[in-house]
Amino acid sequence: MRSRGLSGFFAGALVACAVLWSFATVDVELSRLMSAGPRMAGFIGRMIPPDPTVMGEIAKGSAETLRIAILGTLGAILLSIPLGILASETMVPPAVHRPARLMLAFIRAVPLILVAMLMVGAVGLGPLPGMIAVAIHATGMLAKFYAEAIDGVSRAPIEALESVGAGPLARLRFAIWPQMAPVVARDTIFRFELNLRESLILGIVGAGGIGFYIQTYVRSFQYDKAASVTLAVIVMVIAIEAFNVALRRRFA
Amino acid sequence: MILAAAIDDVSYAHPGADLPSLERVSIQIAAGEAVAILGPSGAGKTTLLALLDGRLRGWLGRVSVLGTQLDPDQRPPREQCADTGFIFQEFALVERSTVFRNVLNGRLGRMPCLRAAFGSPSTRDCEIARTALADCGIADLADRRVDSLSGGQRQRVAIARCLAQEPKLILADEPVSNLDPVRAVDILTLLTKVARARGAAILFSSHQPDLAGRFADRIVGLRSGSILFSIPAAQLSEDRTTALYRQEVSVSGVSLRAVN
Ligand SMILES: Nc1ncnc2c1ncn2[C@@H]1O[C@H](COP(=O)(O)OP(=O)(O)O)[C@@H](O)[C@H]1O
Ligand SMILES: [Mg+2]
Repeated sequence: MRSRGLSGFFAGALVACAVLWSFATVDVELSRLMSAGPRMAGFIGRMIPPDPTVMGEIAKGSAETLRIAILGTLGAILLSIPLGILASETMVPPAVHRPARLMLAFIRAVPLILVAMLMVGAVGLGPLPGMIAVAIHATGMLAKFYAEAIDGVSRAPIEALESVGAGPLARLRFAIWPQMAPVVARDTIFRFELNLRESLILGIVGAGGIGFYIQTYVRSFQYDKAASVTLAVIVMVIAIEAFNVALRRRFA
Repeated sequence: MILAAAIDDVSYAHPGADLPSLERVSIQIAAGEAVAILGPSGAGKTTLLALLDGRLRGWLGRVSVLGTQLDPDQRPPREQCADTGFIFQEFALVERSTVFRNVLNGRLGRMPCLRAAFGSPSTRDCEIARTALADCGIADLADRRVDSLSGGQRQRVAIARCLAQEPKLILADEPVSNLDPVRAVDILTLLTKVARARGAAILFSSHQPDLAGRFADRIVGLRSGSILFSIPAAQLSEDRTTALYRQEVSVSGVSLRAVN
């Protein structure tokens, strides 16, 4: 009891220190904080009404984002099939799957926006670095899911087909794949949704898609146009969410 | 005459196990014979059947199945695997596939490797699978998915898959342990009938002496990996089964499982 009280005290002190430190070092003056309210109101005022003339740009940007998500997911699937096998505990020895898992954890730890910035540096502006970034970033999760799908397969039917005299390919097709397929489909669709959602902002670092227009309009003070694009993004996120709910019901 | 199976002085321990699961076991099974292996849990029944199915490695002694000697270091060739049909205790069916697909899987060992994996089954394969379904009384379940079936229905699918293999030796691991008494009799009737109709020998394990005695020609008593007796079914007596199932440790009315 006593030690728990003590650790509670230390935790509180730590949080207090962190908050004080942030105020002290960041340029957060009381005067600016006070004037932020009216300025915010003015900013929002300039966003209203949203400018509907940018529909063309919205359509073009959304289509590009969708393409980035589709091709990025495809790339992630292609990378995840071999990496998923290499990361599975039942297919390969620990000397292989341990480092493979470590590498996937490392990939997962790097945020997409960071990967995208690096790819823009590597291959230049446009949707291409966006697709590559999505493919790499998504593989960190998808290959892990595929490995788990492989490891989750029940051994008994595989053994039964061995007993029947089926070769390894026939066992893969008729005993392993039927067990894995629904899990793989569900995980892949789930990752596609995440890719779509996450790639909405890729344009901000120059990696293509609808985010590009938000960045352009905000930088050029065309807040009414930025508002239209932002609304379009919100609608897309809600649509993805609805799609997700429908799918969950389908797989339940 | 070629024996369906001959085990000669075989000992076997599972990888990592301290004690052997089979100790100096010898049995012969004649062509067309129906033999029951009787014994308590852990006696080594499943191990003995898996040995004949060619799925174990590293035993000592000699095993020959359908006239061919098994190699303790190597998996038997596919054709030989197809000749022995194994009915697993927990069925080992592909749950998300249809009944028909599961029964067709029994044909995989009879098809060329690549066609088995990528081709479609031939009309003959489909015909054999349909006959197997009909013989097991589940022709109407062909298009149902296995995960929608009851235990008794699954047992029939497992038997049908085995029949589709056209095996010459049928190995059935406790085929009725998951069933109620009425269904148990139905299934054993079916199994022994189809085996006889196809001229296949059948070796099934059980822990129910009455059923074993009723459906087998011969009873092999297995306990702690050793054979206690091998007798015609008619000679199965109360004394023999008592000896087979006797508890080794009994403390103040609480009996513990037999230990070796
Ligand atoms: N895979 C295995 N690894 C180690 N020991 C095993 C394995 N399978 C079975 N055994 C042991 O071998 C003995 C015989 O098991 P089994 O053949 O399954 O008996 P039964 O089918 O008669 O119940 C038991 O003591 C069991 O614990
Ligand atoms: Mg058993």
